[in-house]
Amino acid sequence: MMAFYNGMIEQRINTAISTELSHIQLHHPEFRKEYEVKYRLPNGRKMLESISKDSTVKATAGRIVLKGMVASASGSSGITINGVMPTEEQLLTNLKKKIIKGNYFNSEKTNEIIISEKIRKKLKLDLKKKTILTFQDKEGNLASSAFRIISIYKTINGPYDEANVFVNIKDIDSLSGIENEFNEIAVLIKSSKLLEQSQNNLKKRFPTTEIKNWKEIAPELGLTVSVGDQMVYIFMGIILLALAFGIVNTMMMAILERTRELGMLLALGMNKLKIFLMILFETFFLILAGCPMGILLALATIAITQKTGIDFGRFSEAYSSFGYDSIIYPSLTLKQFGIMILLVVITALFSALFPARRALKLNPAESLKK
Amino acid sequence: MQETVIDAHNLSKIYDEQTIPVYALNGVHLHITRGEFTAIKGPSGSGKTTLLNMIGGLDTPSDGYVEINGTKITALKGNDLIDFRLNNIGFVFQSYNLIPVLTAKENIEFILLLQKRPRKEREQRVLELLREIGLEDKINKRPRELSGGQQQRVAVARALAPKPQFILADEPTANLGSVSADNLLDMMAKLNKEENMTFVFSTHDQRVIDRARRVITLEDGKIVADTSPTKIEHDQTE
Repeated sequence: MMAFYNGMIEQRINTAISTELSHIQLHHPEFRKEYEVKYRLPNGRKMLESISKDSTVKATAGRIVLKGMVASASGSSGITINGVMPTEEQLLTNLKKKIIKGNYFNSEKTNEIIISEKIRKKLKLDLKKKTILTFQDKEGNLASSAFRIISIYKTINGPYDEANVFVNIKDIDSLSGIENEFNEIAVLIKSSKLLEQSQNNLKKRFPTTEIKNWKEIAPELGLTVSVGDQMVYIFMGIILLALAFGIVNTMMMAILERTRELGMLLALGMNKLKIFLMILFETFFLILAGCPMGILLALATIAITQKTGIDFGRFSEAYSSFGYDSIIYPSLTLKQFGIMILLVVITALFSALFPARRALKLNPAESLKK
Repeated sequence: MQETVIDAHNLSKIYDEQTIPVYALNGVHLHITRGEFTAIKGPSGSGKTTLLNMIGGLDTPSDGYVEINGTKITALKGNDLIDFRLNNIGFVFQSYNLIPVLTAKENIEFILLLQKRPRKEREQRVLELLREIGLEDKINKRPRELSGGQQQRVAVARALAPKPQFILADEPTANLGSVSADNLLDMMAKLNKEENMTFVFSTHDQRVIDRARRVITLEDGKIVADTSPTKIEHDQTE
């Protein structure tokens, strides 16, 4: 259960980083309030060059992000227009891998657009058809242009797909009035462990720029992690409670079945501490017998499902609407595994206290009659 | 003068004291001296086992007290009482009560382990006892591999192992055939004679009664007869 939730949350975070957010984003401090084009990074090109030299950075790219409308003959929809640098974006996000129909940007052609399967269906569009993008430029004037659909993408995150289209930055920078500039720089770092270090490096180098990591940009994702953790603990609690009842039941049965034997031990001179420890040791050996089997089964299940995944294809729409993949790849760290085993042992021993107490209260004379 | 091992004074056990009182024992006085071979007889429900349980510190009296070698065991509680039992009283039960997963040797050794005796001493004592009860060839047999009589002999050896002041045997021959019962009684009589070990039996078995040197008869929780060759303390006061 823990591995399942872990896998689900890890996948959600990985998807968010590799498809949607990257690890770190740089913006003008006012930009994310209203997403106005005028709040740009005027030295974006130089910043990009400097960031790419950072040893912790794996890839980086500049973007122009505009709030606008996509329209077809069938209707229109509010969307985020992502003007991306095609070559750099390939290293930064997996947009190209998410294309299910058509091809990635061609450097020789202009006004190409990549839309999602959701938008295609909603606006009844298709490959090679034209669509109109409308947005505000730097001065607040409406600008619009026709773009030809060159490909359709599909991620596991339905809401994201409904709200994002991608165009070549070259086709949109002059239209938006911020030629050769960006209003967003996204950074992918080499390891999640370097996140804080990398963010601090950037903050020192660009003190007037807003530099946020993925948890700050999408606090709901951080919330997902903590809610997921809480869910895991709740499930763990339920499972451990069931274990506790199982142990209490088993040990109570063992004591009831052996009342006479325990009475005999008390009569012969086995003191209460020894009886108490005997019950605890029995419980410990019970776990020792059951745990390795459980561990092996869990390890085997995780090892297999880590490769094959657990397919919840029938619920893919529901999963997608929350940004989750319908195939879950369970994962569990050694530390988590160790904690689980420790919790099981502690719970079992704790559960044995009640039966052990019952054993201590036995009257030898009465017990010998049983 | 004979040394008093067991001194029970005005022992009573009343069940359902608050509603309809039932007297399992009613003001019993009893002295048993070292080396006695005593049988307590009486019909079912006369209080034989209750009296044995009181003497053995397995049950607490509603009134009266029991002294073993001058120690008032009815005043002892918890582990003090358990430790006293371990070091001073040997028990033999009707249905042997050996630990089924242990061998004959281990069953006898177990009680010495509780006494934390050193290994060498334990092994010596176990071999000595097995020899005494004539089961040295069954040393590694588990209870289910032994006959009823053999199991009861192991139980006697277990009771003797810690060198107790006396042995309480509750219907020791009840589950045995006549040959096994006779063998067991021979062995106990031998131990009584050679080692001056005190035995107190509760029994219905005429063979045991015939072999006993003192027979105490209980009826309705009272001693109604005592054929003690030594001191007879017999209280039939209402």
